[in-house]
Amino acid sequence: MTVYLILFSIILAGSAVVIFSGVFDRFGGTTLPARLLLKASPYLSRLCEWVERIGLKESVERQKSKLVDLVRDRMSNSTESNEDSPSSGLVDMSLLNCRVQISELKENNESYDAFNVDICGTIHAEKNGCQTFITISLNDVTDGSSAPVQTWTNESSMSAFCRRVELGRLPQEVTVLSDWRTVAQIRVDGLLFARKGKRSVQLEASISSVDGNKELSRTRCVFDYDNPAHGYQNLRENAERTKVLAVALAFAVSAADNELCQSEIELIENWARDNILENSDRATEKDARKLEKVFSRTVAFFREGNKLDTCRICEEIVELAPVAQRYDILDLCLYVARADGFVAAEESALLKDLAVRLEVDTEKFRLMMEKVLPLHMYEVKDVEAILGLTSDMSNEKARRHLNREYSRWNARVTNTDPGIQSQADQMLKLITEARGQFTTEQPAGQEVEKIAAE
Amino acid sequence: MTNIVGIDLGTTYSALAILNAIGRPEIIPSADGERLIPSAIFFDEENPDVVRIGIEAVNSRHLNAQRSVRWIKRHMGDSQYRRTIDGKDWTPVELSALILKKLKQDGAIEHGEIRDAVISVPAHFDEVRRKATMDAGTMAGLNVIGIVNEPVAAALYYATTRHVSGRILVYDLGGGTFDVTILDAKGHQMDIVCSQGDHALGGVDFDRNVLEMLEEKYKEEFGAELIDSDEDRARYEDEAEDIKRTLSRRNVAKKMLYGPAGNMRVEITREMFEQAINERMERADILIEVALEQAGIEPSGIDKVLLVGGSTRIPLVQQRLEKMFGFAPEVAVNVDECVALGAALQAGLTMLREKPDDVPVGIAGGLKDIQLTDVCNHSYGTICAPLDKETGRRVIQNRIILQKNTPLPCEVTQTFYTLTDNQDQIEVTVTQGEDTEVEYVNKIATHKFKLPPDRPAGCPVRVTYSYDVNQRMHCTFEDVESGRVLEVDLSLDQDGKVSDSDIKEKEEKIAAVGNSKVE
Repeated sequence: MTVYLILFSIILAGSAVVIFSGVFDRFGGTTLPARLLLKASPYLSRLCEWVERIGLKESVERQKSKLVDLVRDRMSNSTESNEDSPSSGLVDMSLLNCRVQISELKENNESYDAFNVDICGTIHAEKNGCQTFITISLNDVTDGSSAPVQTWTNESSMSAFCRRVELGRLPQEVTVLSDWRTVAQIRVDGLLFARKGKRSVQLEASISSVDGNKELSRTRCVFDYDNPAHGYQNLRENAERTKVLAVALAFAVSAADNELCQSEIELIENWARDNILENSDRATEKDARKLEKVFSRTVAFFREGNKLDTCRICEEIVELAPVAQRYDILDLCLYVARADGFVAAEESALLKDLAVRLEVDTEKFRLMMEKVLPLHMYEVKDVEAILGLTSDMSNEKARRHLNREYSRWNARVTNTDPGIQSQADQMLKLITEARGQFTTEQPAGQEVEKIAAE
Repeated sequence: MTNIVGIDLGTTYSALAILNAIGRPEIIPSADGERLIPSAIFFDEENPDVVRIGIEAVNSRHLNAQRSVRWIKRHMGDSQYRRTIDGKDWTPVELSALILKKLKQDGAIEHGEIRDAVISVPAHFDEVRRKATMDAGTMAGLNVIGIVNEPVAAALYYATTRHVSGRILVYDLGGGTFDVTILDAKGHQMDIVCSQGDHALGGVDFDRNVLEMLEEKYKEEFGAELIDSDEDRARYEDEAEDIKRTLSRRNVAKKMLYGPAGNMRVEITREMFEQAINERMERADILIEVALEQAGIEPSGIDKVLLVGGSTRIPLVQQRLEKMFGFAPEVAVNVDECVALGAALQAGLTMLREKPDDVPVGIAGGLKDIQLTDVCNHSYGTICAPLDKETGRRVIQNRIILQKNTPLPCEVTQTFYTLTDNQDQIEVTVTQGEDTEVEYVNKIATHKFKLPPDRPAGCPVRVTYSYDVNQRMHCTFEDVESGRVLEVDLSLDQDGKVSDSDIKEKEEKIAAVGNSKVE
């Protein structure tokens, strides 16, 4: 049991649990002795060693799952949760009690899930007619009440959830609420839990006087909630995992032409340092050296001619990462492709493939490529991809599309930036050449005759 | 009598036209009797203060190309471009001012002082280039009362000399630039619909194609380069131009090439020439289609095609237009002069609008029936940070407020919102350009707009852009809740805030042009 608790603490304390060797084991089909340590924390180092010892990431999940069930079982035996009626005898009316029930809240003709916070029992005030308010907070205690995890508000400024509700005046010094009274309704969509799935949530309620801010009564209860959305810890872990996968894809692009250039490797290393070794000021020299070592092994892996299964990597990224992060990954890959000043045909093809597999908007990706990869760098110009032509376009549609592209680049040809001017000149040339295939041969006069005949 | 003139400051040729006593425009020949003056400059070797403009400058290039300048319009607005002559760095604005000074000087011989002028520019010229043109006029001692688009000027002239009605496409292919403008005409009333153009498509490019053919043929024959000095280049550029002109009249042009490796006779056929310029002609066709799409019409919706500019004499131009529209384009009485003539008309209309008391009765009478509705030449916008719907992130973007081709005068308002809590300032930027990407647009003005403190995010800021017929733009940024307003006025004749060193530099440039003796 102690082992399980220590293990679970390690998992929770480290934010990114990704084992590079796990990536290769899973996707590469080739054993890579190197691991990429993603976060420079002692917890992860130990975890990595432990995982390597037991062999599989899945085992971690199994162990974790067992521990969660165990803790939940213990929590469900707690005497602090109480959903029974006050009159059932199980509620101590001499104290303040609370409960939470999931309800439906209607606002502006829309329905939302909400937590109804009910209280009953006795409230001791300082005097008759005391003006009071109740403060409500929520914590995730799935992993034990000794290690509660805050629930956040789901707003742009993420902060711990805490709601204050005015209760009004208590008529007497001792007020007894004989029935459950709803004092607050909390919209569930306004909350961000730590994790997805079945959670044990502890609600703490504290009644205080408005004058003097003195706490009069306090209560808590625990309830179960099946959170359908990713929690913020899930999101953080997913983000960290995604970053490692991003590095994997970046290396795949770099190695696509069977040539890992130093400029490409440096770019990936710098990106990894900036994005994975969080707060590089805090990262120790030891962490940086570990990262260097892992990179050397990674480079050696590719230089031996090994390849990654980029399809499976992309599948996992699509599961874990929001679309914004996928664009960031593609952005990294584009800069890797351009790092050596030359975009090989294989790199270009792989980039196109990654964009499809990462399920991003094709046109948006094409505009990203346009900005990052100047035309003169391409070994082989995939004219259709560069100009955004698709096989389902009719001649007429293609012609109009090219006209729009021409107009767009024509406006840029007088830009003060010589790089943009040059790119615009080249694009105009390319569009003019491509358009030759789609020029309508029928002169206008014949067109008029045709319409008249119809 | 006040002289009201229009100037066509062309890439290869320039012309000056004046409104006569009854409001009809007439070309004023140069002191040498030429109606068109080559836009060429030569700094005299023996007299450093003397600057030759025109045909003399063209011929002097063959002797000392280093001291000559041609096609300076191609570099208008390029802040990096300089030509160093006798230790002085001449900018495109100053060089253009020398040409304008020559026109002004020659025009004054017969008509007295020339002051109030409208100068024409290509329709696609942006604010930077328009302002540069205006500055050149000011440096030359002119009072530039307006800038007019070349196709519009040409259309104005057409409308006053013949019956023109319906939907007109003006195809202006000159020495250095190409414009296509679509307008609706009814007698003397004209409404511009839209314009498109290419800053580097014109006769000089066709000349270059011919020159490349000559060089290629010479190299095939002798295995050596035809040109080994700037003077040779100048000479063969003129030969190439001559071949191009010949091929407009005949099917073959013959020349002798006198190169360092030997002499040879060369024949360039019209077919070879047309093949060489085909790609450039394709570009012109694309821009016509773009203009038609912007106007929302098919080629069959055009009633008349008017040709402007010397390069429209090339038979291929007329053939391609006939193929596209199903009828032959209309050739102007003089494709080289109609822009200057139309610019003079525009000058008269501008004077009637702004200083009607200064316009002689005869001229006013001649212009009274002419009505022109112009459009915004470019889109104007501001930089903002909307949420990208797909990623949920804020992206820095150019948001267009005034769309290109909006009829003038116009005014458009859009509302934006502050981004953060306690935001006490906005950096407002007025942009010109069609792109949403910020790096591709011109930032023509930037100001800091102070806001009240201690407010939440999402406070509305109303932005209004207006553009009047005198090409003056007015921008208002209004904080709706507090009523605070920032107003920005932009016009081509203002420099905005300038430093003392900018003023000093400008004065030096004016002095340099003023002190130069143009002949």
